[in-house]
Amino acid sequence: MIDSPEGAKPGVRRREFLKVLGVGAAASASACDAFQDNAGKLIPYLVSPDQTVPGVSTYFASVCRECSAACGIIAETRDGRVIKLEGNPEHPLNHGALCARGQSAVQGLYNPDRFRTPMIKTAGAWKAATWDEAIALLSAKIVEQKSKAGAAVFLNQHEGGSFPSFLDSWLSSMGMRPHVSVDFEADHAAIEANKRSYGVAWPELAFGQAKLIVSFGADFLDGWGSSVQHQLDFADARAKGAAAPRFVYIGARRSLTGLNADQWISCTPGSELAIVNFLQGRGTAQAAATASGATAESLTALAREIATAKPSLLVAGGRGENGLDVALGVAALNRSAGNVGVTIRSADAVLGFEGISKQGDLSAAVERMRGGNVGIAFVRGPNPAYSMASSAKFAEAFAKVAFKVSFSLYPDETTEMCDLILPDLHSLEQWGDSEPVKGTLGLQQPAMDPVYKGSRSAADVLMAVAKKDAAAASRFPQPDYRSWLIARVPGNTATRSTMFAKGLGSGNITRREMPAPSATQSATAAAATGDYFLVTYPSPTLGDGRGANKPWLQELPDPVTKVLWSSWVELHPETAAKLHVERGDVLEVTTSAGTVRAPALPYLGIRPDTVAIALGQGHSSPSQPTYHDGKDTSVQWGYGRYSRSVGINANALLSGATNSGGGSIATGKCSVTKTAEKVQVPTTEGSARQHGRGIAQAMHVSEIGRPPAEEVGHGKIPGAASHEFLPGLRSPVAADAQGELGAPSAKNQGTQLGMYDPNHPLGMAKRRWAMTVDLARCTGCSACVTACYAENNIPTVGAPWQNGVVYAEKRPGFNITRGREMNWLRLERYYEGADDGAFTENFEARFIPMMCQHCGNAPCEPVCPVFATYHAPDGLNVQVYNRCVGTRYCSNNCPYKVRYFNWFGYGEPDRIQYAFPEPLNWQLNPDVTVRGKGVMEKCTMCVQRIREAENRAALEKREVAADEFTTACAAACPSRAIVFGDAADESWTIQAHIGSERAYHVFEELNTYTAVVYLKKINHTTKAAAAGEAR
Amino acid sequence: MTQRRKWTAIPGLLLLAVGAVALSAYSGASSSQNNSPVQPIAFPHPLHAAGNLNMNCLYCHNTANKSPDPGLPAVSTCMGCHLIVRADKPEIQKLAKYYAMGAGTPVPWVRIHKVPDYVRFPHMRHVNAGVTCQSCHGPVQQMTQVYQYSSLNMGWCVNCHVNGYDPREGLKATGVVDTSTTVTPDAERKRARYDCASCHY
Repeated sequence: MIDSPEGAKPGVRRREFLKVLGVGAAASASACDAFQDNAGKLIPYLVSPDQTVPGVSTYFASVCRECSAACGIIAETRDGRVIKLEGNPEHPLNHGALCARGQSAVQGLYNPDRFRTPMIKTAGAWKAATWDEAIALLSAKIVEQKSKAGAAVFLNQHEGGSFPSFLDSWLSSMGMRPHVSVDFEADHAAIEANKRSYGVAWPELAFGQAKLIVSFGADFLDGWGSSVQHQLDFADARAKGAAAPRFVYIGARRSLTGLNADQWISCTPGSELAIVNFLQGRGTAQAAATASGATAESLTALAREIATAKPSLLVAGGRGENGLDVALGVAALNRSAGNVGVTIRSADAVLGFEGISKQGDLSAAVERMRGGNVGIAFVRGPNPAYSMASSAKFAEAFAKVAFKVSFSLYPDETTEMCDLILPDLHSLEQWGDSEPVKGTLGLQQPAMDPVYKGSRSAADVLMAVAKKDAAAASRFPQPDYRSWLIARVPGNTATRSTMFAKGLGSGNITRREMPAPSATQSATAAAATGDYFLVTYPSPTLGDGRGANKPWLQELPDPVTKVLWSSWVELHPETAAKLHVERGDVLEVTTSAGTVRAPALPYLGIRPDTVAIALGQGHSSPSQPTYHDGKDTSVQWGYGRYSRSVGINANALLSGATNSGGGSIATGKCSVTKTAEKVQVPTTEGSARQHGRGIAQAMHVSEIGRPPAEEVGHGKIPGAASHEFLPGLRSPVAADAQGELGAPSAKNQGTQLGMYDPNHPLGMAKRRWAMTVDLARCTGCSACVTACYAENNIPTVGAPWQNGVVYAEKRPGFNITRGREMNWLRLERYYEGADDGAFTENFEARFIPMMCQHCGNAPCEPVCPVFATYHAPDGLNVQVYNRCVGTRYCSNNCPYKVRYFNWFGYGEPDRIQYAFPEPLNWQLNPDVTVRGKGVMEKCTMCVQRIREAENRAALEKREVAADEFTTACAAACPSRAIVFGDAADESWTIQAHIGSERAYHVFEELNTYTAVVYLKKINHTTKAAAAGEAR
Repeated sequence: MTQRRKWTAIPGLLLLAVGAVALSAYSGASSSQNNSPVQPIAFPHPLHAAGNLNMNCLYCHNTANKSPDPGLPAVSTCMGCHLIVRADKPEIQKLAKYYAMGAGTPVPWVRIHKVPDYVRFPHMRHVNAGVTCQSCHGPVQQMTQVYQYSSLNMGWCVNCHVNGYDPREGLKATGVVDTSTTVTPDAERKRARYDCASCHY
């Protein structure tokens, strides 16, 4: 199924082929030429590539480069274009799952703000250049610099694999220093502690083996380390029911990881060390409690639990000032608890985190630039002008470099300051490799021809420069980087071709020799002052900010706060009351380093003495941005159109100091003042409470296996989980779809001839497509949401220009505040406990993915005046776009509120609201209709995948096999919470889940006979917490 | 009806009628049946698909039985023969110009058959069910300039899905002479799903 791209020869006009097909779709049929050219053109191949069937997908296995972990991906391409990314099932890290950020790589690939050509800055103005000009200029500048040995800086976005060695070898051939491998998301203190304690940067954390998990501010589900791998393992552990590990989270703020914990021990930022010391037997519980703000009882109980639950797994994040000490202390605890080698395995370490340069190395490079001795600087990937603390004054130092080169694909703050832009290829367009775990090679291979012919692989450009230099040329005899790389791959042609097919091979990569670390800059932070602790954290969706130019990630609600297209300041409701602040009141947060203004967002999961701000937003904007005009391709600085005027950059608040682990310190002290301004914070959330509706249900672990309490006044509720999922489901509406009732007007009603013929020769009603969602597994990460956007051509609607013309308000997220978001699958988050808003550690968060429930007895169906929504015989509730006239009755009558209306022409290129500006539209799934203005839409249970499987089965003259395919959300889910299948066929996996004792339907009492079955979450709270004992 | 009302109502109704006719002529519902655009190269189907050569449709439209997309022959497929065969004819020279030894541009054929974007039409399901190409596309083997034979309207599709496809009719469409006068028994007519989501999603 997976093909090597070697068959694809240059010169094949694959892209043009589909482009013109697409144009055909959009071609307007004016009355006079209707009989000439109303269907567009059909463009054949010039020479047909092997293995390619038009209309059928080809799959390329490659490596994800969206974070340092380097998961395996499979890129689905159709007619030469990547249309969807999924995880590689055979990859040792992600086993087929893929997070939201990984999936959004295609929006980096097709980003409308990508550079089209190399550009040269002359006299302050940018001018497009040819590659010959650009390379000649670069070579000349390098020759100029060669006399001044060492006076060069190369900042490269950290990646594992061979490229770092290649780069160092190139730099040394040019007489330059080794590069700095930058990763602003890396937890340097944790890595340093891991290296010292376990000998590797990132050991495998075996959550599944642990009986107790304790996290000291390590957000292993949302961005700390190899998140997808952690999540898979964590979900497997939590699904064990009674045997599952309890999870305790210690920190000032409950992150997404913290919300998944059974118990939260709140402590002030930086005081984790006191707790760790106590757990190591140094000091009393009372002393630790006083120092940290936690309760002595909870700490004593934790110490007891760590002593008894063996093996356990303790993890620590180190973004505070004493981060390294905390992480080292936790490592010592792991050692004494006997966890090393059991739950912490160095042998299966995630190698992607090896070789990240410490923040100190970056700071040293910045200082050298500030010294004025650096003649040439290169930036490939990172964006330090945005991502470094503004007090580090990167921009000022960078400006002193005589000649600055950027390999960035997109405009960003650092690239704007450069003198030469050599647009690199996207990771989906170029060669590379990785070593995810020891002995396994991950091959990064191009899944398509470059989107823009004007971009070129940075490695190839460097080789071209080397070839102009006699001395350097001998080091790089190969014609291009691909040949250089393939020559390094161990094995023979046969093993290599397997590697091309699977994207995985065996072998090791010789890692580059790390230069000696620069002396860590002493943390000369101004004395922290202020009334509140400040916590900044990388956004779970945008990371350190590199995701901000991707509309899917902007439109993906933050998993904790459900806020999108915005920045916010989290503070506890108690604090908010004290400051007389309500949600949306703009706050001014000031530290000794700087000030930002962002709206307040009261949040239960933060200590009253702490405020928190996510990083990732607040990229610079041109003063007069011209929003979206499809034709205008001139560069607008900032970080792309989708990041413009969104939120604030919390890096402005940080001191820029580094901790002893070599990471920049993300916490501090601040003062908070209320301003007169108030804004509406865009959110997809209606209410954070369930109001007794029983949407997201949970049970205590002790209830497992116990017969449920007898329900008074109810017999057996039809539609309960034990209800038989007969084909078509036995409900009045479904029965009609089966032809059992017939039209009321028909004489022979009740005998035959409803909408469908029950004796249909093809046996249409054999199946009942259904889905189960295990809430014990679901962590709320929201990867399913992005997968749904990617698969189903769902438009993003929050960009400032996508508002209507009537209310011409250019505010990011304005459409969201009006409830116009289109998330077919939304991830709801509900709080239980802490009802009065007073501070307590004992409140619970429940996550539940909510999509169309495909009711057997659907309230939406009978109210549609035009029969646009109806019940298909295979159990689907179907929305027929071309019948829909947009009355929205169905949405009004839907108890689940999962139907979404196209208020504007998001799919129409001529409208200002167009959600897929060229070339973002290249990603559109050709199997799914792009909906027009004025129609209703909703989850289809990926009916296109059902049809595709049916078509494939018919082609091979067989029935659809059990578990042969699944929906996009289930395929992506990194906790394997979603299972899709045929509920009428015993052989599908879903059968086992439907019968679970934890199974329930949402709003079962409405007799909607839903096809989506939820499995209750399992809580492992202690008795004390369950009794609701607040501090 | 008063005289005055009559004089507003009648032209009004007439106007409406004219509007309706114009609309229906304009809309997809009326279809572009019989549309026969001039192609960049006057490709003669009769020479290839009938007569001495009598090539199978699948020789050129080679994915019609395995993909939703029937496929168009790559220019190199044409040149496989025409590098030598009839290389002196003006239309072939046009083709060679497009090909230019594999470095040229593909032929911009004008599309004739197109269903709207909200319809999925999988060719392979139909071809493998035994529906002959001519059942929908008409006697292409006799068309010097291809035209749209069927209306491609939904009623036309559903007619077959509900009432069934008669294999004998399909064979007749390909030019097979069938002299038998018996009617195909109902059981031998091939029916297919006809709920909306079979094609609309």
